[in-house]
Amino acid sequence: MKILGIDTATESASCAVIDDGKVLGEIVFNYKKQHSVILMDMIDSILKNLKLDISDIDGFAVSEGPGSFTGLRIGTAAVKGLSQGTKKPLVGISTLDSLAFNMAFTPGIICPIMDALRGNVYTSLYEFEGGALVRKSEYMVIDLDKLIELLSDRNSQVCFIGDAVPLYRVKLSLNLRDPKFAPAHLNVAKAASLAELGLIKLTDKGASDLHTFAPFYLRKSQAEREYEKKQRDLPNERL
Amino acid sequence: MNFITNTVEETIELGKKIGRSLKPCDIVCIDGDLGSGKTHLTKGIALGLGIDEHITSPTFNIVNEYEGRIKLYHFDVYRVNDPDEIAAIGFDEYIFSNAVSVIEWSDYIKELIPDEHIQINISNESETRRSINIQFFGKRYDNIKEVLL
Repeated sequence: MKILGIDTATESASCAVIDDGKVLGEIVFNYKKQHSVILMDMIDSILKNLKLDISDIDGFAVSEGPGSFTGLRIGTAAVKGLSQGTKKPLVGISTLDSLAFNMAFTPGIICPIMDALRGNVYTSLYEFEGGALVRKSEYMVIDLDKLIELLSDRNSQVCFIGDAVPLYRVKLSLNLRDPKFAPAHLNVAKAASLAELGLIKLTDKGASDLHTFAPFYLRKSQAEREYEKKQRDLPNERL
Repeated sequence: MNFITNTVEETIELGKKIGRSLKPCDIVCIDGDLGSGKTHLTKGIALGLGIDEHITSPTFNIVNEYEGRIKLYHFDVYRVNDPDEIAAIGFDEYIFSNAVSVIEWSDYIKELIPDEHIQINISNESETRRSINIQFFGKRYDNIKEVLL
């Protein structure tokens, strides 16, 4: 069963074709957000090089978020079009799940962190149990300081991965006990990782609905934003 | 910092001076009554950024994009009922990207404006005469302060 995976959730753009347990090909660019310009060329190129026609693909997997607002819409729109045109199923996979999957079998907690701006990260906590990736928390958009608190309480080894790692590596190293960081070649959203999870989800849970499928943006609520702004504007009473 | 302009041309000229000194990631908030010249000031800023395209108020499409020496995102949030509407179009990705953002009626979305920004308030002194008050929040704007002094 051939799955075409597409990831446009962050600055990187990636597409891959897997055939059951085998990666047939993968293209990853991690250079400027230019998804709308290069995505279709990437898909065309990977299919041509594999001597495949789009009709040979049995299903599509796309990163459904969280991530870049425009990026997610580009990926979703592209996959919806391909799915509708070929009448093949599509499935959405969390960007955080697929990042965590890059670090398969890492002991302790795997913590993907994606830059959500204003000092926040998109994150969730994972562990590998009996060979399977298990999510141990909600999907969160959270202030980095709060994430550090949360992880300090867990007292477990943590491995970070994601586009927020270069931004916060020093701070995390100073505030947590011996954190690990994904090596550069793994520290990018990979469509092959996404496609592999997509194949599992498609087999176990079935396809997402073509018409109602939508990206998962994960934003702070207005109440949370107002509360934080108020906290910032208050004179520093504690000092 | 206070400026008086007596004509539309003078308002545009002031905008130009500001625009020439702006850097990527700078945020300029412009508030003032209808017809006070917010868009004219933005036209000047655009000229200062090396944009020669015609600037129109994005009242209906909320944001217009222009390519210049630096990219410009021109917001008009007059029609926005709730800051959440703006947050929901990926506002943060615009204002924290490698571009200059000008936001008309920024008062409507105060909670979304980062602490560091330039705040410009325009008030009508007469039919053509305008009083333009500029406040700078954040060290990153020190260079513009000097240029305008």
